[in-house]
Amino acid sequence: MADPREVRLEDLPGPKSREELEDMKAPYEEYCRKIFDVGNEFIKPGALEGIRWLSCTMYIFTPHSVANLGELGAEIIKVEFPRVADPMRHTSPFNECYFYPLHDTRPKSGTGIGVLNANVNEYYISLDYHRKEAQEVLYKLVKMSDGLTECYRPGTFDKWKQSYRYLQEINPRFIYVWGGGFGYGPKAFGGSYDILGQAHAGLASITGFHEDFGGHPVKHSNWCIDWYSGTQITVAVLAALYWRRKTGLGTMIEFSQVQAATRCLGYGVPLYGRFGVVRQRWGNWDTMLCVHGIIICGKSDYPDEKNPQLRNEARYVMVSAFNDPDFKELCSVIKRMDLYEKYKTHNERVRAEAQVEIYREIEKWAADKSRSEVVRILTEAGILAMPVKNDKEVYESEHFRQRGTVRWMDDPMLGDVIAQSTYSTGLFSETPRRKFWDFRPVGADNIKIYHELLGYPISTIQEWYEKGII
Amino acid sequence: MCDIIWCKKCDTVNYLDPYCFWNWEGKIKCAECGEVYYIHMIMGHMYKGPEPRPGEQPDILPLYADKPYDGYTNFPPGTEGKTRPYNCTPRHIYLGRADQRKFSIRNRPMRAWPQPPSAGIAGSQGFYWDIKKLSPEVWEEYQEKIKRGEVRDW
Repeated sequence: MADPREVRLEDLPGPKSREELEDMKAPYEEYCRKIFDVGNEFIKPGALEGIRWLSCTMYIFTPHSVANLGELGAEIIKVEFPRVADPMRHTSPFNECYFYPLHDTRPKSGTGIGVLNANVNEYYISLDYHRKEAQEVLYKLVKMSDGLTECYRPGTFDKWKQSYRYLQEINPRFIYVWGGGFGYGPKAFGGSYDILGQAHAGLASITGFHEDFGGHPVKHSNWCIDWYSGTQITVAVLAALYWRRKTGLGTMIEFSQVQAATRCLGYGVPLYGRFGVVRQRWGNWDTMLCVHGIIICGKSDYPDEKNPQLRNEARYVMVSAFNDPDFKELCSVIKRMDLYEKYKTHNERVRAEAQVEIYREIEKWAADKSRSEVVRILTEAGILAMPVKNDKEVYESEHFRQRGTVRWMDDPMLGDVIAQSTYSTGLFSETPRRKFWDFRPVGADNIKIYHELLGYPISTIQEWYEKGII
Repeated sequence: MCDIIWCKKCDTVNYLDPYCFWNWEGKIKCAECGEVYYIHMIMGHMYKGPEPRPGEQPDILPLYADKPYDGYTNFPPGTEGKTRPYNCTPRHIYLGRADQRKFSIRNRPMRAWPQPPSAGIAGSQGFYWDIKKLSPEVWEEYQEKIKRGEVRDW
């Protein structure tokens, strides 16, 4: 045992060798590049290695909660219904492309691009829970796994004798996640979608332009509540794993999608509780800061493009000049110093009538300019301005490329695909997130899991397959 | 919220979408009978009009129109000569048939074309799709692309 009175060099803060000294002298930028080492994530360990999780999930919301674990290093087994599979596989924007056949019995029915990024790094097996023969298989998997996520209607897994109260008997350390629409309560049997969640939770009512500007409640074009609540489930699972380390016991997590969206209401609910004010949607402007919003410019950055999304849409700019000196500069740029004189203080500017007038004048100034021209002029004047980028520009962004946020990968099944998913969620120096593959065909890993992991003979697996159990 | 021009000649409601007509002055053609109307809108409110201007050239078409007393007769966005073109309409390649591409936009091979109906015992699939061995014609096409310098890193 070391003498406690002895001060050892290793225990002292600071560099221990010439190399470490050099490391510490390196500029922060260089230091970050070295420790995060973007592009070489695969040589480092995964944070959740050793965790095995079952995913009985569909669509985006619950699959994404499990994919997060897979990206952090856990071993995931995704269980799909034989032949039918996760219905998300049938989606594909405008039937754009089918990456892979759904199943070898349905070669013409493909897996669409809509499913990408939601079930990363998982093994894919098929199993029909209804069948008695399937139950023993599932129980065996539960015994050797840490948890399960499902998204069936409340009580469905209970009816099939595979809910928390049954599985806990088999494996007391088991963590069980039910992620669904409404949770228990008056609407227990209501299913949910992202858009339903946004509507039910009151989020859609504060998204979009005010009615006075011809606006309607809107949902986000992507399923942001699916992705958001999936992440929230992952946070819950990590907490449950930590709790299990302390107590040795599992947990059931019940997560309602429609409740997740209420968190995004921010100050809306306390505002009503305190003053009875119902928050309204206010579009591209901010209710608490002015100028701090998105304006439209007269000309597109790509006037000759064939693609209408580029030709017509590339003309929005985010402008921020809410403090007095910035607002003064902005007024001077648009040659409307009278506006500055009229709205000298922020309290005056932030009022609804003032905002209507101020933004209208800025847009008038931008009416004969393109988006990049507006950004250039404002940036040169020291005002924060950023073009509203589209997917093409995100793909081409040097910033995202250098950080590895958007990158190309050689998927073992799909070949050349571009990925942002896991790499967009933060960098880890020791245990980075990573993506081995995106998705696999239905039942692609039946042999691996049933034969190699559970030890069933190939003849039994063949029999199950012929009977439609897997 | 959007304003309308109810054409009394043919009983057609022409819808003026707020994004286009919020602050706007000009002439609009009725989708059904072609009657031209002048309007002037300020901040979403009809300041002047609609006034019929027969014989004049319209500046723009309505976004959508329907005939409320006539069941479901309507002119959806993008009806040629009747309503404004709807630029969000999917391109023709997105309508109805899967577009199975072989190469990504940087011209490297993708697995996006049909595989043989059966791919192993009990639905198990091989993990790695070896383009060179399993799709030699795609591999050859890829080599040609490399020679022509069409394959990019980004």
